[in-house]
Amino acid sequence: MRRKYALGGILLYVISSVYIVYAGFFDIPKQSWNAIFWILILFASINAVAKSFIQENRGSQLYLYQLAHPSAVLIAKMIYNTGLLFLIGLLTFAILSTFTGSQVRDLGFFILLLGLAAVSFSIAFTFTSAIAAKSDSGSSLLAILSFPIVIPILMSLVKLSANALGLLMDSSYLTDIFNLLAIDALLLALTFFLFPYLWRD
Amino acid sequence: MKNYWWKILGALLILYTIVGGMTVPIKSGIVKVTPNSIQSGSEVEIQIDGYNSNYDQSDDLAVWLKAGNTTAIKATKVSAINATSLKANFTLPNELPSEGSFHTLSVVVNSKIDGISLLPDHVALQAGAMDTLNRTQWSEINNLVRKEGFNFPYRNILVESIRNTFYHIPLWFAMVMIFFVAVVYSILQLYKPQVKYDAYAVAFTEIGVLLGILGTVTGAIWAKNTWGQYWSWDIKQNVSIIAMLVYLAYFVLRGSFDDHEKGGRISAVYNIFAFAALIPLLFVIPRMASSLHPGNGGNPGMGGEDLDNTMKYFLYPAFFGWFLVGMWMASLRARFIILRDKYLLKMND
Repeated sequence: MRRKYALGGILLYVISSVYIVYAGFFDIPKQSWNAIFWILILFASINAVAKSFIQENRGSQLYLYQLAHPSAVLIAKMIYNTGLLFLIGLLTFAILSTFTGSQVRDLGFFILLLGLAAVSFSIAFTFTSAIAAKSDSGSSLLAILSFPIVIPILMSLVKLSANALGLLMDSSYLTDIFNLLAIDALLLALTFFLFPYLWRD
Repeated sequence: MKNYWWKILGALLILYTIVGGMTVPIKSGIVKVTPNSIQSGSEVEIQIDGYNSNYDQSDDLAVWLKAGNTTAIKATKVSAINATSLKANFTLPNELPSEGSFHTLSVVVNSKIDGISLLPDHVALQAGAMDTLNRTQWSEINNLVRKEGFNFPYRNILVESIRNTFYHIPLWFAMVMIFFVAVVYSILQLYKPQVKYDAYAVAFTEIGVLLGILGTVTGAIWAKNTWGQYWSWDIKQNVSIIAMLVYLAYFVLRGSFDDHEKGGRISAVYNIFAFAALIPLLFVIPRMASSLHPGNGGNPGMGGEDLDNTMKYFLYPAFFGWFLVGMWMASLRARFIILRDKYLLKMND
């Protein structure tokens, strides 16, 4: 597997950042736990997805596009990224929990959130990395393009996970999930509409 | 004349909204009422401080305490102290105006010169001792005199800053319209790539961002005067900042290409994407969260009582004025970009 070293790198990033957080905090209050968790996820995800278009060489991209329809390539990358990001989410959660003790009250709901986060980030980052890959300054541009777009997603996620942590007793979590899915659907539709103009050179 | 009439129209509309919006006086209103807690069945003297009022010149001053839509009690005696303060005496009925132990009364002052001014739900009314000699009853407000002439409405916290309605809101409106025009050029650029379309898309996006920044600044100044601070982390403030970041990323993206044709295409794609992200950011998300802005989170929206006819005479022209001037600025900028690129190309040859 040529991705092995990439996964190893992400694992190293997660473990070392969790350790720094632990060394700084020792006993993390729930509110900070919530914020730190999503910051860790954000940066781990952007590192992981950056590999999907940006760190691919042009030859293999050209080869892919000749083999398959560009939309098929896009879907494949999104599914792969969703899986990868979900794995990263679980991993970060597991490592942070072993260091700091699990703060989550509603575990099932939290895992669902990790899934939602994986889908949303995968859609947002895959498209922005497809754009960023076209320019000469790939990964730094990816951060600039994608951060404003993921802020609304993260805002919903942080609120929902505050629910899962028991910080917030909000009965309107279904509306928040619906909002998140609506943002995802919009981004997905745009991605499919705009991608055909992106890939060809 | 045929081709630039709209530029003159835009400039005239803006001039009209600035001159009119700044000079039309605000209707008289009530700033303060003391005391703000009274008891039923008692005789009270209430002092009312007004804004833009002419109490000492009015000979037909009438004051009511109003509970609910129809129930009210009229002042037995009204005496003006000076132009902006008066004293009103009431004999309050023994009964409370309706069921319940907690009532808030609105204060209504009426005169021929100042018209109707109202301070809603300000005076607390509590049950007091019964007075057997007291025969007064709750009745209705009648014989209100409306003010003639052209004035903006008085709103309690807004006061003079209500004039910002003509700048803050039209600037945002114009920004969305200008961004929309930029997207149209971006779509044209994708279908039929031309240097012209690309230049127009960039120019319109630049002017859109400029209008957005102006909208944020006017909003922040307004917030300082009404909400107490320049930045309150209100949901609309947050999403407008995100929207500005999305558009600033557009310029970074453009700048990162050496190849003009490729850069034009990729940034056209991103521009369409950014506009599609802007609409839910500005118009959907704020409606779902609680906000200090009117029209969000259960606050009453613009329109109805807040936007009376005198405001509409300036607000609607301001929408078109800022949009037309934005178009003008953007087309100038686009022509500059096209000429500059042509010149640079010639230099390279």
